[in-house]
Amino acid sequence: MLTKSAAKTFFLGGTALCSIAFVLLTMDTLAQFPDRSNQENMTPAVVRGNHIWTKNNCMGCHTLMGEGAYYAPELTKVMDRRSPEWIAEFLKDPERMYPGRRKMVKYDMFDPAEVGAEEAKKNVDDIVAFFTWVGEIDLNGFPAEPDLAQAPRAQAVDVAPSSNLAKAPVYFSTVCIGCHSVGGQGGQVGPALDGVASRLDAEFMRKWISDPQSVKADTTMPDLGLEGDDLEAILDYLATLKE
Amino acid sequence: MQYKSQKIAWYFFAACMGLFGLQLIYGFILGFDRMGYDVLHDWIPFNTARATHTNLLVVWMLTGFMGAAYYIIPQESGRELWSTRLAWIQYYSLLLVGVVAVVGYHFNIWEGRKFLEIPRPLDYLVVVNVLAFLLNLFMTIWKGKNKSTTAMVLFFGLLMAALLYLPGMYTFDNIVHDSYFRWWVVHLWVEGVWELIMGAILSFLLIKLTGVDREIIEKWLYIIVGFTFLSGILGTGHHYYYTGAPGYWLMVGGIFSALEPLAFLGMALYAIAMARRGGRNHPNKLALMWTIGCAVMSFVGAGFLGFAHTLPQVNIWTHGTLVTAMHGHMAFWGAYAMLILAMITYVLPEMTGRKLFKGWVPEWAFWLSNIGMIAMTGAFAVMGVAQVYMERKSGMDFLEVQESLEVHAFGLVLAASLFTLGIVLFIRNFCAYGRPNDEVLEA
Repeated sequence: MLTKSAAKTFFLGGTALCSIAFVLLTMDTLAQFPDRSNQENMTPAVVRGNHIWTKNNCMGCHTLMGEGAYYAPELTKVMDRRSPEWIAEFLKDPERMYPGRRKMVKYDMFDPAEVGAEEAKKNVDDIVAFFTWVGEIDLNGFPAEPDLAQAPRAQAVDVAPSSNLAKAPVYFSTVCIGCHSVGGQGGQVGPALDGVASRLDAEFMRKWISDPQSVKADTTMPDLGLEGDDLEAILDYLATLKE
Repeated sequence: MQYKSQKIAWYFFAACMGLFGLQLIYGFILGFDRMGYDVLHDWIPFNTARATHTNLLVVWMLTGFMGAAYYIIPQESGRELWSTRLAWIQYYSLLLVGVVAVVGYHFNIWEGRKFLEIPRPLDYLVVVNVLAFLLNLFMTIWKGKNKSTTAMVLFFGLLMAALLYLPGMYTFDNIVHDSYFRWWVVHLWVEGVWELIMGAILSFLLIKLTGVDREIIEKWLYIIVGFTFLSGILGTGHHYYYTGAPGYWLMVGGIFSALEPLAFLGMALYAIAMARRGGRNHPNKLALMWTIGCAVMSFVGAGFLGFAHTLPQVNIWTHGTLVTAMHGHMAFWGAYAMLILAMITYVLPEMTGRKLFKGWVPEWAFWLSNIGMIAMTGAFAVMGVAQVYMERKSGMDFLEVQESLEVHAFGLVLAASLFTLGIVLFIRNFCAYGRPNDEVLEA
């Protein structure tokens, strides 16, 4: 039968062997990191974005590379789904984009009204640079494409120059398109807007976009505070979408 | 209890009870957030509550290990603690660091790296604190009459835990790099050296409660901690599948972490076998129940449920979902929370001379907390698996999926209430024992 000293040898020997193997694998892994993470693309903006990410404990709700708290969306491939303009609009005041739904902390550093347009833009640019860089890291295939999917996932839109969407104002083709689609391009959260001008009159659309909750209290359509030229440009564009 | 200085352990355990209670309150905040009642969002957003919940867990467990060590090491070494004064200083400074860190989280002061949120200046204090703790233990063992295997394994475990805290104090601009070394702390703690501490405390409890020969118990202790390291060290690879590390980690991590349940199974079989073999009919049956419960629940939570999502072909879907929370809750409960509660249940009658281990309060504390935890794990499993199939496999929108899971979060909160009731009873029993006294010292 096994003696105590043999058991001790097994423990010490096994531990030593595994530790050595672990250290060797670590050395090889560290040598591969610069290449696998495209370290040459880690610009100062990426590093600043990373600091925004960690300093505010974003992984206390979100996940990135699958690591975090599962309370808010996985963001590794967020730049495939969202445009920088959408992100800027969203971060200005997250609750406004998702009225009545799960909340995200509003960080003043992204709000032009709090820190000035220049500073807010710089911070958004940094976090976007960080996400863009993260999206390119070789993660051995994570996150996997949904294999039971029936509907295509939301994707940032690559506008074909000939499409109806090409004539849209920038705000529409970057922000609105996160939820709505035109000509089959765009999100599926809100209704498709093809032919919307034949169904709704201009006054209604103006009221709806300016203050959706006054029309329908529990709608998920965000009140993004659109006014002035931006609003007019969007209304002019929507008026062209006839059947 | 044989030595006056062992009494310090009681104060560590009392702190454990307080911190554990607070951890549960934050758990409820998280549970209500998931149900859609995030009414505290403006003051305690989810990331604050989450960091507080997990850090309180780590702090109360470390406090519990320290209390256990302050009791076990003098007993095993056959002498008073080297310096009671140093132990007191260490006690108050540890609590101070813990409280300051947790308060800071409410003001956006943290490092934002999961489980290691404590800001850098406090990290240094933790290091000094743990050095003082280890010095005290080392001198006690060094000057003691005996150097038992149990004491050595416990000391080695605590020393390694301290050393492995250091890689987590490095931060890198490259998150791939940062994440790699973060797991050196988190994984090599809970699936490595903490199991060493666990093995040592278990063997101390089994020696005391079953009366089986020390040589036999300690021999098996070596075998089990041997398996722990054999599987656990390279098993770190299961955190490296999809976080930027090379592809060979899928193979290495997969194979070795598939062996990890064996160490936990060994631990469970060992505890059960020793209890059966034991001739001594120790009156504190409840302490033995917690001890065996710990070994069994750690196999189910850490071993079995860990294995459920450790293989890379499964993990590609479950990585970063609530499946992790399912495994995490029962693993920590079984392996470490129950261990510390077992130690407390054993130690209190020894320290106070009162025998309050019979009756409905302590017994229902055991059953309600365990049933509650099993139910919570079930609720997390439902949420996790549903999330995997809806979000990851079918590509549904994240928020839509989460909103459809709110009803299960309600189930989770119900189960957590049952669990909390058990813990409240445990704490009530703890208070009923009162403080330790010198009259019970064995000659």
